Amino acid sequence: MWIFVRTIATEKMGLYMIQSGYMGLLYCPYILERGNVIMGANVELSNAEGNRGENGGLALRTRLAIHAAKLAGWWLRKWKKGGGAALPGYVARLVEPEILTHLAQAVRRQGKPIFVVMGTNGKTTTNSILCCILETEGSRVVINRTGANMLNGVLSALALAFDRRGCLKGDYVCLEVDENASAGILPLLQPDCVILTNLFRDQLDRFGEVELILEKVQNAIAAAPRAKLVVDCDDALLCSLLPRCENPVVTYGINQPVFAASARSDVREGCFCPFCGKRLEYDFFHYGQLGIWKCTGCGFARPSPDYTASEIQLQKGVWSFCLGNMRIHSKARAPYNICNTLAAYGAIRALKIPAPHLKEALEGFDYGNKRENRFCIGRMRIQLHLAKNPVGFQQKISLLLGEPGPKDLLIQINDAWQDGRDVSWLWDVDFRHLAGDGSGLASITVCGSRRYDMALRLKYENIPCRIAESLEQAVRQALRCGSENLYIIVNYSGLHQANRLLQELAEEGRGKEKPQKNESKKRSLEKGELLS
Amino acid sequence: MKLTIGHLYPDLLNLYGDTGNIQCLKKRLQWRGIEAEVIPCQSGSRVDFDRLDLVLLGGGPDREQELACGQLKEIRRDFEAYVRENGTVLAVCGGYQLLGNYYRTGVKTLEGLGILNIYTEWEPKRLVSNIILKSPLCPEPVTGFENHGGRTNIGDHSPLGRVLYGYGNTEESGYEGVLYKNVVATYLHGPLLPKNPAICDYLLERALKKKYGENAHLQPLSDRLEHIANHSIVARYYTSLW
Repeated sequence: MWIFVRTIATEKMGLYMIQSGYMGLLYCPYILERGNVIMGANVELSNAEGNRGENGGLALRTRLAIHAAKLAGWWLRKWKKGGGAALPGYVARLVEPEILTHLAQAVRRQGKPIFVVMGTNGKTTTNSILCCILETEGSRVVINRTGANMLNGVLSALALAFDRRGCLKGDYVCLEVDENASAGILPLLQPDCVILTNLFRDQLDRFGEVELILEKVQNAIAAAPRAKLVVDCDDALLCSLLPRCENPVVTYGINQPVFAASARSDVREGCFCPFCGKRLEYDFFHYGQLGIWKCTGCGFARPSPDYTASEIQLQKGVWSFCLGNMRIHSKARAPYNICNTLAAYGAIRALKIPAPHLKEALEGFDYGNKRENRFCIGRMRIQLHLAKNPVGFQQKISLLLGEPGPKDLLIQINDAWQDGRDVSWLWDVDFRHLAGDGSGLASITVCGSRRYDMALRLKYENIPCRIAESLEQAVRQALRCGSENLYIIVNYSGLHQANRLLQELAEEGRGKEKPQKNESKKRSLEKGELLS
Repeated sequence: MKLTIGHLYPDLLNLYGDTGNIQCLKKRLQWRGIEAEVIPCQSGSRVDFDRLDLVLLGGGPDREQELACGQLKEIRRDFEAYVRENGTVLAVCGGYQLLGNYYRTGVKTLEGLGILNIYTEWEPKRLVSNIILKSPLCPEPVTGFENHGGRTNIGDHSPLGRVLYGYGNTEESGYEGVLYKNVVATYLHGPLLPKNPAICDYLLERALKKKYGENAHLQPLSDRLEHIANHSIVARYYTSLW
């Protein structure tokens, strides 16, 4: 049955390709998909042309691959609204397996810098800030879409940014790269600057212990020795990479305590010196293992940061700070976003990119990116947050406790493969801060495929909660009888669905309901709930 | 009544939500009006087994496990005596491996405490899965999550349970963990105790009986949520097979 459906789908895709007039070019991935038939012919074609074709310095085969990627992108836009951001990269690689190397070489030949952002938390935000700074200076920036940060996602972003003549439609390339995929990407990409935000435990069943990830990152940067590293020196784990690599390094960090106690949990990584094994000593912790640290055994210590934020103040719920002599009144509501801002700032300074409008860019930047969406439904203000690992979850708890007014909290925990099937990390989060009247929480509701695990976690802190069958049910319940602020924390697989649901409910609230469309969407939501 | 729980090296061995086991032991004592004291025995500090009624040894990353192994060697004799005198121990994952004779990885061999006559050998394929057991300790199935590269051969020891779903000690043996005197050693985390309250109460009861005599017993608690959480996993992975 599946083979039958697949054949029909492939035939259909082939038909679209022929219709669109790209037949010659686009037949390639189609044929390759069906059995690698004309691969040999294709190689001869590109060799005859020479590895450096006339067009933008790209070989014919690479150009074919770009066209194939674009067709896949067009097809996605037309038929699959949202999702599948990695498909163009996949298709391009079918046509030309070496395409990332060629495209990266082309970008460098055209004199355009490549930034890479890596780290467990803060990749997307840091990349967005970087992009915002560059765009405010009037530059065009190529970035990859949120979450599309493995090989094919990175490749999609790059391939789709080349025009017909083989020129990059942008002045800078800013890519977030998953740490676990970095060893396969950085050697090919040879970026000019690599930002390392932090390393925490994350989905142990998929990626393994944090030491393994550290090793992957080390291999990745060792294979890109030209890249300037921008590193958060508050993270001792990241700093342990520095003596072992040849790359030029700049560091950033925060010298004063700004994080609330609720941002920390007692469970943390790397308590011991990676070189001599002695316990690291801390003046204080920011959050996770980040803080002001030193080893009393071998002298391994936090370097004094090249870039820091000073005179950090919380004013009316948002953070303001000084970068050099410049005071920035940011819109950041969570202190970890100061770290993200510093990372982007450090990268701009590291590559000596002139940024006369930096203050304007940072003060205008909206930290509530896709992952922290805000919605208004009736009289209720809703914030949607993503938390996919214990440190991230702890930050969200700290953030919501800092917000004024009574509030309801809704937590959705799924265990689809993207989330990690193991949810034991919930016990590494310190939920004690949610107990008691001081938290301002009117109610907590849990849902998702691991809702009972979440409820149990709260039970063992003596925190009562409601259990809902689905996110939709829980949100509707909150709309009926909740307070005015609803915070929704979801892990990865539920994010897209939650976003869609809230948009739909917001539309419904505004009376723009389209009954038929909604009906089918609701059905697919329910289906999604069952599957997850 | 009061029980003192020793958490061995929480700064080294704290992977996979092991603190949840401590939290579960503590709360289930407190909910019954029994005093609970938790002593986190940080690495480098002295462990006074005479004071402890229950010991938890968790799992950690390879490097931390090696550091813990060095520390454990210093308290080997005390630990052995504690187990011999029917002290209660819960050892999870890395802790389970360290109780054995040795743990051989691809590159080196870590010598264990030798309290259990078992050994572990590492293989590149990690065994990562939800896991369900049938254990003599409780009528309902035991559920958890396993994630280990080591294959543990338990020799003549009796296992914690028979594997209904998942891999277990060696993937092939069909059994998981070890039950020896008052020691429960297992690969199950998730953490183990909250979703399997009967095992938690088994450990607490052993410790209470040792300290206050055979008449000491635990009041039953309402474990509705625990059972639903346990059952949701069993229904998803085991019952659905039939």
